[in-house]
Amino acid sequence: MNKELEHSFVEQLEKHQNIVHKVCRLYTNNQNAHNDLFQEITIQLWKAYPKFRGEAKFSTWMYRVGLNTAITLYRKSKRTINTYEIDSLQYKIKSEEYDDTEEQQLKSLYKAVHKLNDIEKALVFLYLEDKDYKEISETLGITPVNARVKMNRVKTKLKKILNP
Amino acid sequence: MDELELLKKDWKNQTSEYPKLSYDEIYKMILKKSSSIVKWILIISVLEFAFWTLMSFALKDSKGVRSFDELGAENILIPMTVIGYAILIYFIYLFFRNYKSISATDNVKILMENILKTRKTVKQYVAFNLIYLVIATFVALGIEIEQNEVVRAKIEEATANGDALMFYAKIFFFTIVALGAAIAVLLVFYYLVYGLLLKRLNLNYKELKKLND
Repeated sequence: MNKELEHSFVEQLEKHQNIVHKVCRLYTNNQNAHNDLFQEITIQLWKAYPKFRGEAKFSTWMYRVGLNTAITLYRKSKRTINTYEIDSLQYKIKSEEYDDTEEQQLKSLYKAVHKLNDIEKALVFLYLEDKDYKEISETLGITPVNARVKMNRVKTKLKKILNP
Repeated sequence: MDELELLKKDWKNQTSEYPKLSYDEIYKMILKKSSSIVKWILIISVLEFAFWTLMSFALKDSKGVRSFDELGAENILIPMTVIGYAILIYFIYLFFRNYKSISATDNVKILMENILKTRKTVKQYVAFNLIYLVIATFVALGIEIEQNEVVRAKIEEATANGDALMFYAKIFFFTIVALGAAIAVLLVFYYLVYGLLLKRLNLNYKELKKLND
C-alpha cells in the first residue's frame, strides 16, 4: 500500500468519521465497545479501499462496510461483553428547545432501539440517515418491498417496547 | 409525532456530540490488525487442514501402519493415500477460492452467504475425514483379520473353542466404541468453536432469510 493511498484514505475517513461513530453508537453500549468497533470498521474500510473505485460516493460505500462489520464481521472482544450500560450512555440527549417530556421520550427511544436485533438496527440506521428503500434493500440484500414491510414492523415493535 | 421522526430529528442534530478523531489517530488505526470473525475462520481452518495432514503423516509412521507394509497391503494403502491427498488439495483450493470471495463491500446477505460457504467447505472436509477414518479403520481391521498371523492364531484358537462369533463381536464392538468416542470428541470441539464464533452470524442470517421468504 503506498503512502498516497494511505493519505487519501485517512483524509476521507477523517472527514466522514461521523458515519462510523453513528454505526458504533447503534451497535454498542459503552465507550470501550464503541472504540473497538470503530477500530475494526476502520481496518475493514482500509482493507477494502484499494478496490474502491469512486463510482459510489465514499460515504455511501462507508455505510455498507460499516454495517457489514457491525452485523457480521465484528467479534465482540472480551472486555466489551457483559458491560451493558444503556442507562449511562455517554451521549447527551439534546433537543432544540429544552423539553423535559421530549427528552424523556428520546431517552426511551434510544433504549428501545438498542433492544432491536442487528438487522432491525440496520434498517433503523439507514432510515435515520434518510436512505430510500432502494438503497436500504441494496445494502441489506433484500427486496425494496420487504424492506418497507420490515420497516413498518420495526416501527410497530418500537411502539410495543415503548408502551408495553 | 411518529417516534422515528422524533428520533431522526435528534439524530441529525447530534453530529457535534461524537468524538472527533484526528488524522494521526485514524492513521494509527489502519496499522493495527483486524480481529474479525473471517480472520478467525481462516486461522481455525488452516489449523484444521494442518491437523488432518499431520495426522495422516503421523499415522503413516506408526508401528501399526508399518506392520501393514509387511503384510503386503500396498495395493489398498497406496490408492487410499493418493485419494486422501487429492481430496485435501481439492478442499484447500475450494476453501481459498471461497475465502477470497468474502468482501466487506458486498451487501449484508451476500457477505454472510460467502462466509457460511467458506465455513461449509471446511465442514465438508472434516466430514470427509471422519468418513475416511471409519473406512480406513475397517479396511485395516479386515487386513489384520485376513493376514496378521498373531490375530489369525487367536481366531483359530477361538474357533476351536467355539467362540469365533464372540471374538469377532468383541473386535467390532471395541472398534466402534473407539471410533465413536473419537468422533464425539471432535464434534463437541467443533460445536463449541464454531458454535461460539458463528452464533451471531447464524442468527442474523436467519433473520435476513426470514425477511425474503
